[in-house]
Amino acid sequence: AAAAAASFDLRGYWTTLLPQIESQLDAALPVRFPERIFEAMRYSVLAGGGKRAPPIMCIAACELVGGDRSAAFPTACALEMIHAASLVHDDLPCFDAAPLRRGRPSTHARFGVDMAVLAGDALFPLAFSHVVARTPRDLVPPATVLRALAEIARAVGSTGMAAGQFLDLTGAAAAGEADVVAVLEKKFGEMAECSAVCGGILGGAGEEEAEGLRRYGRAVGVLYELVDDILMADAGSNGKMRSNARAVAALGMERAMEMVGELQGKAKRELQRFGDKYGDRVLPLYSFVDYAVERGFVVEAG
Amino acid sequence: ASAAAPSAVEFNFKGYMLQKAAAVNQALDAVVPLVYPERIHEAMRYSLLGGGKRVRPVLCLAACEIVGGRERQAMPPATALEMIHTMSLIHDDLPCMDNDDLRRGQPTNHCVFGEPLAVLAGDALLALAFGRLADPASYPADDPVPPARVVRAVGELSHCIGAEGLVAGQVVDMESTGLGIPVGLDRLEFIHLHKTAALLEASVVIGAIVGGGSDNQIERLRRYARCVGLLFQVVDDILDVTKSSQELGKTAGKDLASDKTTYPKLMGLEKSREFAEELLKDAKDQLSEFDPIKAAPLLHLADYIAHRQK
Repeated sequence: AAAAAASFDLRGYWTTLLPQIESQLDAALPVRFPERIFEAMRYSVLAGGGKRAPPIMCIAACELVGGDRSAAFPTACALEMIHAASLVHDDLPCFDAAPLRRGRPSTHARFGVDMAVLAGDALFPLAFSHVVARTPRDLVPPATVLRALAEIARAVGSTGMAAGQFLDLTGAAAAGEADVVAVLEKKFGEMAECSAVCGGILGGAGEEEAEGLRRYGRAVGVLYELVDDILMADAGSNGKMRSNARAVAALGMERAMEMVGELQGKAKRELQRFGDKYGDRVLPLYSFVDYAVERGFVVEAG
Repeated sequence: ASAAAPSAVEFNFKGYMLQKAAAVNQALDAVVPLVYPERIHEAMRYSLLGGGKRVRPVLCLAACEIVGGRERQAMPPATALEMIHTMSLIHDDLPCMDNDDLRRGQPTNHCVFGEPLAVLAGDALLALAFGRLADPASYPADDPVPPARVVRAVGELSHCIGAEGLVAGQVVDMESTGLGIPVGLDRLEFIHLHKTAALLEASVVIGAIVGGGSDNQIERLRRYARCVGLLFQVVDDILDVTKSSQELGKTAGKDLASDKTTYPKLMGLEKSREFAEELLKDAKDQLSEFDPIKAAPLLHLADYIAHRQK
C-alpha cells in the first residue's frame, strides 16, 4: 500500500470535497432574527476557512467501507460545527484567552464573551439537528443515525474533549509522558477518532471495523497535534499556541520525534486489515497519515 | 375543564410529583457517576442534583404516559431535559452573562468551581443530554423505543434549544436589558417563548413522541406546552415583584433593579394575573380530548405552575 499511497492524490481528493463542505456549511447557517447570534455562529464556522480535516476523514472512512459519500456528508459537516464550537469555547478569556484564531479575531474578541458562549452553545445542537434533518433516510437507517449521534456526544463530553480541556487547564500536561499523552488524546485525538468512527458507522462498517477506525482516528489526531507542536518548537515560535500542553517541551524533542514514528506506524497498522479487504479504497486514509507528518501541501477553503 | 373536575379532585398531585421527582433524581444520580476527571463531574453533579422541582422531566414523563407510553421509556429524555435546563442556568449565571451568585438558594456553579469549569460543566451536560437521548442503550431493553422515534426526538430537542429556540431567547433577553427603555409586548413574548417555553415545549413534545403519540396528539400537547411555558414566565415575573429573596431562593426584585422588562411592569399586576388565567385555560383546553384520568397529571401541572408560590 505504501507505494500506491505515495501516488495517491490526497490533495486532489481534499480540494474536490472542500467546496462542497463549505457550501453545505454556508447553507446550514442562514442569518435570521436575532441576527447577532447567527452572525457569530457563521463567523466561528466559516470565517477564515479552515482545513476541514474532520469532515474529510469522516467521508474517507465512509467511502473506505463502501458507503456512499452522501450518507456521511451531513455528519461530516456537523463535525465541523462541533469542532468550531469547541474552539470558540477554548478561546474564551477564562481558558486560553486567545485573541486570534486562524489569523482573525476570535469569536469573543469580535462579538463579545457572552455571544461567544452562546454561539458555542447553539452550534452543538445545530450539529445534531443537521445530522437528523439532512442524513438521507434511504441510505442510513434511524438506528445507525443514533449510533453516530451518540458517538459525537461521547466525543465532546465530560470524558472526551471537555475532559481534555480541563486537564490541559489544570496543567496535567506539565507532568509526565502519560499525562501529556492523555491531554493530546482527549483534546485532539477525540475529534479525529469520532470523525473516523462516524464515517465508518454511516458507511455500514461492522463493529470490529468501527473499532479499528476508532484506534486509527485517535492515533492520527494525536499525531497531527504532536507534529504541530514539533514544527512550532522547530520554528522557535510561540505565536500560534494551540494548546497549553506544549508536548515537545514536556517530552523532549527526541522522544517527541520517536512518538511520531510510533503513531504513524500504529495508524497504518490499523489500516492493514482494511487494505486486505478493500484494496485501494484505503488510500485516502493511508495517505492522511503521511500528510499529518509531512504537511506536503497547504489546504485552505476559498 | 368542568368534565375533568371530578377526576381532578381524586388525583393526588403532590404524591405524583414527589414520586416522579424521586424517580428522576435517582436516574440523574446514576447518569453522572463521579469518574475521572472527578472535578468536572463534581461540577456537573453540583448543579444537576442541587435541588430543583424537576418540572421539565415530569412534564416529559407525563406526556409520554398521556399518549399510552411507559415512564421508563421516557426517562432517558426526561433526564436529558433536566441536563439541558441545568446547563442553560449554569451558563446564564456566568459573570459574562447575568453574573448571578445565587441559584436555588445555593452559590452558583462558577462561584464554587470557577468560571472555566462552569463553562465546561455546561458543555459536558449538553453533550451528555444528547448522548443519553440518542444512545439505544439508555432505553429499557424489554420495552424499547423505535429508533425512528428517538431520531425525531433528537431533532425536536436540538431545534428547541439552539439559535432558533432557547439561545434565541437568551440573546434577545440580553440585547433588551439595560437599554433604559421598556421593550414591547411582542418582544417580551418572543423572549419568554424562546427562553422558557421552548424547553418546556421540548419536554412535552419529546415525551409524546417517545410514548408513540399521533401527530395530532403531539401538536395539541405542543400548544399545551407553549401556554404553560408562557404561563411559567408570567408567574415568575409576578413572584419576583411580590416575594422576598428568601422565599424564592434566588435574588428577588432583580428584574426591577436590572431594568428588565416584565409583565407586571408592562401591563400591571392585575392584568398580568388575568393573562396568567387565560393561558391556564388555553392550556387545559388542549387536554380535553385525552382520557381524563391519563390527563390528570398534565392538568394539575398547569395548575401547579399557575399557582406556585416560588
